[in-house]
Amino acid sequence: MLVIALCKGRFLEPSLNLLARAGICFADDVASSRKLIFDSTDQRHRVVLVKPADVPTYVEYGAADIGIAGRDVLLETGADVLQPLDLKFGYCRIAVAGPRGTPPINGAPAMRIATKYPRITIDYYNARGIPVEIIPLSGSIELAPLIGLADRIVDIVETGQTLKENGLEVLEVIAETTARLLINRAGYQTKREEVRALIQSLEKVIA
Amino acid sequence: MARSFTQIPPGTQILIGRAARRRRVLERAICSVFEGWSYEEIIPPIFDYYDVFAKGWGQEEQIYRFIDREGNILALRPEFTSLVAKTVATRLVSSPKPIRLYYSGEVLRFEKPKGGRQREFAQIGVEHYGGSRKTADVEVLLIAVETFQRLGIQSFQINLGSVDFFGGIVDRIELPKEQIDTLKEVLNIKDQPGLEALLNTLPLEERRKKILRAVPHLTGGTEVITEARSLVKNSRSVEALNHLEEIYSIFDRLDLARHLTIDLGEIRGFDYYTGILFRAYVRGLGFEVAGGGRYDGLPAAFGDDVPAVGFSFSLDRLEQIVTPTLDSTSSEDGAVDVDSDFAKALQLRQSGKAVKLCL
Repeated sequence: MLVIALCKGRFLEPSLNLLARAGICFADDVASSRKLIFDSTDQRHRVVLVKPADVPTYVEYGAADIGIAGRDVLLETGADVLQPLDLKFGYCRIAVAGPRGTPPINGAPAMRIATKYPRITIDYYNARGIPVEIIPLSGSIELAPLIGLADRIVDIVETGQTLKENGLEVLEVIAETTARLLINRAGYQTKREEVRALIQSLEKVIA
Repeated sequence: MARSFTQIPPGTQILIGRAARRRRVLERAICSVFEGWSYEEIIPPIFDYYDVFAKGWGQEEQIYRFIDREGNILALRPEFTSLVAKTVATRLVSSPKPIRLYYSGEVLRFEKPKGGRQREFAQIGVEHYGGSRKTADVEVLLIAVETFQRLGIQSFQINLGSVDFFGGIVDRIELPKEQIDTLKEVLNIKDQPGLEALLNTLPLEERRKKILRAVPHLTGGTEVITEARSLVKNSRSVEALNHLEEIYSIFDRLDLARHLTIDLGEIRGFDYYTGILFRAYVRGLGFEVAGGGRYDGLPAAFGDDVPAVGFSFSLDRLEQIVTPTLDSTSSEDGAVDVDSDFAKALQLRQSGKAVKLCL
């Protein structure tokens, strides 16, 4: 049996749709149930629901053989897992944003950057030789530059609507992110047939 | 009480009683397999000059280093292979070849504790110096197989690749080192969309792009070698394929091929690897339990150009999957209770009985 870790939240619906199109269906209504573990009707797959940021950890440790998570989460956790497929949903940009009309950086002292993505932010600015102070937050990131907690933010931007409504704009795009298929390295070898079959059926439905 | 008295530093662990017995029983079972293939034990020092590991092993940021009173930079061993290679190339330089050695002990790496492996963890493995390339490669792989079998592990998989297959492809690509590194990064995680995006930015012929696109998929049985042959023509890659095919066919004749997966997309590994490269996985454990390969250049770096191949098992990870039948009984079991009669205790001990003084 293959264990698949899915994120609760905005990825759940499209993830379940994708699995259904690949022939993996569940008797329960996974999205509305309060259970965390579901077996597929053919008993060959088991879905577990976890927080988005935890999906790479479940897969890296082999607690789940497979996972679906955003590339942003993968970059942030740095988990050592195989990532063979772009599942083509959940498109966002990981971007630096600031109040409209923020001037470019030139010789300013270390900027303060509020973010849910400290690792991506540090890597981005380190690669450019720009000193920054990271302020780790876990939500409402857009608020930080509005009330003087930070100069800029690094966050995922889907449509830009939230930024716009808060008087912010995208200054630089760091990377693009979509949902990715994650596979545990050991499971890829020891459950090769099952894992390959799943990759192939997913490849077909996203093509 | 001082914090240092109540906490243990992150990355260390303490094994007591049953856990320690398990460790020793496992260790002895594996050593007896190694000895059965005529490997002699080597007990190297726990520290040596930093250069030995920095030059041999790479991964400098993971090495615990310190300075002695004369100002030399020393390091706690992060692995055994460099230490053993140095010894073979110096003290054992005139010994008849091949030289077969095994080791067992703790190593230290400054890395995130993961998968039951702390910063200090136990490695047990073999090193083979100076044998013919094919025979020695097959020998160490067979020892790895027997080790799993001896421990009662049936569902294990050895993932076999070669640095020369990918090396031969990269030799022909004129790209700056950073781009090659990025290429390795995306291949290493089989990131197909990432690879495609990267290839779009690289000034490579379509034929080369086609080869690189195939690399992540080249994993399976002999059919993989056939497919790879149709893609590459350079002699380094072709020789690597011939070599892997030979090993595979030997395993096939021994009815062991089901445990072997050819994986030409396997390009991770320490800097010192020069030929075959393998990692072993067990069903039910998310991390590899063993890894190894050929490192012909390593003894040469210490002054003696002799071919070398070896592997090591992670005892901490094996302990998580090995069946408990290996557990021995406690040393208290079967001990004769003796009150303060010391003479009787001595007498029992002399006749080989276990005693437990009841004071």
